Amino acid sequence: MREFIKWLVSQLAVAEQHEKTGITAKQRLQLVLIQDRLDLPTDKMESMKQEIWEVVSRYLRVADDFLEFEIRRLDELVVLVSNIQVNDASELVPVSG
Amino acid sequence: MTGRTIVITSGKGGVGKTTATANLGTALAMRGQKVVVIDADIGLRNLDVIMGLENRIVYDLVNVIEGKCKMHQAMIRDKHQLELFLIPAAQTRDKDSIEPEQLRELCEKLEQEFDYVLIDCPAGIEGGFKNAIGAAKEAILVTTPEVSAIRDADRVIGLLEASELHRPKLIINRINTELVKRGDMMDKDDIVELLSVEVLGLVPADEHTITAANRGVPVVHDKKAPSGSAFLRIAARVDGDEVPFMSLEPKTSILDRMKGLVGLSGRAYSHA
Repeated sequence: MREFIKWLVSQLAVAEQHEKTGITAKQRLQLVLIQDRLDLPTDKMESMKQEIWEVVSRYLRVADDFLEFEIRRLDELVVLVSNIQVNDASELVPVSG
Repeated sequence: MTGRTIVITSGKGGVGKTTATANLGTALAMRGQKVVVIDADIGLRNLDVIMGLENRIVYDLVNVIEGKCKMHQAMIRDKHQLELFLIPAAQTRDKDSIEPEQLRELCEKLEQEFDYVLIDCPAGIEGGFKNAIGAAKEAILVTTPEVSAIRDADRVIGLLEASELHRPKLIINRINTELVKRGDMMDKDDIVELLSVEVLGLVPADEHTITAANRGVPVVHDKKAPSGSAFLRIAARVDGDEVPFMSLEPKTSILDRMKGLVGLSGRAYSHA
């Protein structure tokens, strides 16, 4: 009986682990199609990133690089997400308590 | 008579464009329409073998366009349907042998005589593709539920739009219902969400398509073939009928069916 329960649990674990590759395919395509449709090559993306950093750094003391800079889907929208650490502010805010 | 010129295209090769063209043409003819199918894949002709007409070719598309023969001399009558004709591609020429305007002029002449002019577009997005889409006023896009085919389909939708062929309709070919059921293949809704196009029909993966091609008889002639009845439904929709989508259930075991009867089976996963 104990063996049987062990076996059953292992089978359930296998079922749990089964990756639904259809979902993976769809998620990958969502990103690929955005890139294709925008027709924005990597070098253009890189120069846009550089220019945005320069503009922001004129007003704020910011980290040398973006924490995040990418185009992705947000529900029905395609959005440019960029995150950059502001250094002045981090000095003002107490880290804990 | 003013017929409709429709291009059947895909971007990616090997997804079933030629099979779709042969079956759609045959199915429309079976409905009593006058149909001509044109193989625009110059240098790589195949529509003739799928329709079993390869031994009857005398003149081809390039001959007509160059004025070497009359339009009617290059039209091969189908073996089974009296009102179905094929204009084959030239096999020993290249894709630059014709210009988009020349094919468009030919199709406009054919529209005077036929209800439907179907153009089997070559794979790729180069010259042959541009010839084929330039002549058409409507487009049908064929894809399979695979990442590469869908990516190429998306690219082709953009090119069709740029060429004033708006709102292409989608045939999803070779759907493996078992894989969809276990979540390992994208289903109709996934693909519609990705491509934002209207679905014209769903064709299950079916060995009958292969045996039909072996024999040179389009699968719509085989009453037992699931893919054949899918193409008959697609033809009806093209022809303006409202036909509900077929339910693509995988073959189930006796045990599954008994579970179904007593309400133990899982949810219905896909509605085709």
